[in-house]
Amino acid sequence: MKTYTFHVQGMHCHACILLTESELEEVSYVTKAKSSLSNHTVEILGEFGDKSQDMIAEELSQVLIKHGYSLSVEREEKIKNWSDFKIAIPIALGFAVLFVVLQKIGLVNLVGTNSVSYGTAFVIGIIASLSTCMAVVGGLLLSMSATFAREGDKVKPQILFHVGRIISFFILGGVIGALGSAFTLNTSATFILGIIIGLVMLVLGINLLDTFHWAKKFQPSMPKFIAKYAHGVSKLNHALTPFLVGIATFFLPCGFTQSMQLYTLTTGSFIKGGLTMLAFALGTLPILALISFSSFSIKNSSKAGIFFKTAGLVVIMFAIFNILNSLVIVGVIPPLFNF
Amino acid sequence: MKLTIVSIIISVGLIGGAIVLSRGALVPNGNIVPENNVSIVNGKQIIQIQARGGYQPRRSTAKAGLPTILRFSTSGTFDCSSFVRIPSLGMSKSLPQTGSTDIDIGVNQVGVLQGMCGMGMYPFEINFQ
Repeated sequence: MKTYTFHVQGMHCHACILLTESELEEVSYVTKAKSSLSNHTVEILGEFGDKSQDMIAEELSQVLIKHGYSLSVEREEKIKNWSDFKIAIPIALGFAVLFVVLQKIGLVNLVGTNSVSYGTAFVIGIIASLSTCMAVVGGLLLSMSATFAREGDKVKPQILFHVGRIISFFILGGVIGALGSAFTLNTSATFILGIIIGLVMLVLGINLLDTFHWAKKFQPSMPKFIAKYAHGVSKLNHALTPFLVGIATFFLPCGFTQSMQLYTLTTGSFIKGGLTMLAFALGTLPILALISFSSFSIKNSSKAGIFFKTAGLVVIMFAIFNILNSLVIVGVIPPLFNF
Repeated sequence: MKLTIVSIIISVGLIGGAIVLSRGALVPNGNIVPENNVSIVNGKQIIQIQARGGYQPRRSTAKAGLPTILRFSTSGTFDCSSFVRIPSLGMSKSLPQTGSTDIDIGVNQVGVLQGMCGMGMYPFEINFQ
């Protein structure tokens, strides 16, 4: 019996600990495996015979490669690909400028009607998805889908997010219409939500840059004990999380969403209210779908590093935008943006 | 390398475009509502502000020491500007999509009153003199 310590590449979440441990313990000659997230190592106890440590690392890597991990004896210097930033920074800046331009050209003034048909609600949805609401809903979606895509889960979480969003808009819109009382965020709720969303996005964004490893510790992921119940694989995380986030977007601070909810209030019927909010949600779908599926189209190409760094930078900018705006509405700082 | 050059060109183009467009967008905005949006009726000072895709005028000048009403007019306003927020007065109010809403802000001291929309991105200010 011998114990060896290997360095693991690709380990970035609590679920990874359980996954690597359970996969390694499946190997016949391994008695016990213990992974550590903080220093990205795994300690393996087993009957290795006369195999060298390098050979073991290679053999065990074969077991883990399908999950995107590999083992090595020497700590592999993280290739930080600083050169990716040369391309990612201009693209992210370009995106930021495009965002500002969209606000400056006065898209919001395109809504000219006073009565709201389903068609108008759809158009308002399209405009909303291009407005500053993009910083909240789009930013959250981009940070989430890029994070999932990097962990190898590309399609399902994105679809679940949109399904959750569309269902919740129809049902909750219907409820508002039927009850005649809207869920509106007061200032302190807007502030708290804005700060939380901003901080979550900031952490996810920094993680996407894949440059600062200390940030991983703060990554909001499932506690280990829940992960254990979920069979050691982060199934729950990848299915339930995007679905719930999709539902929660109904309540996120976005002027358009709240205005539509206030209008829905006046419809006085479940079906009318539900269909109005559904039309609005469908209007936001093209842009949001573009954001979420941009990540899976690029995942396996050689440009993946650039994509994730660009996404990280955009998410960080949106996060800062949200945090600053939240501080503005409680009067901590004077208004900074002028759209 | 090629990609770098292309992306730099695109960003420069976008930044240039943004400057040109924002200059074009800001000038007419300032002209929509005349400077004299402040009137005094029966001893009450009324400040008219248009709320739609932001607030116009962004900056108003009013007299300090007079009872003051902010009159927000909306027309097909679905964006953030239909939620008015003035942190220093602890005031948040949602405006109807179309209509006129009076908000009594009482008597104000000399100074600048800052307000913004409910999510913080559209500001306005009233300079009390």
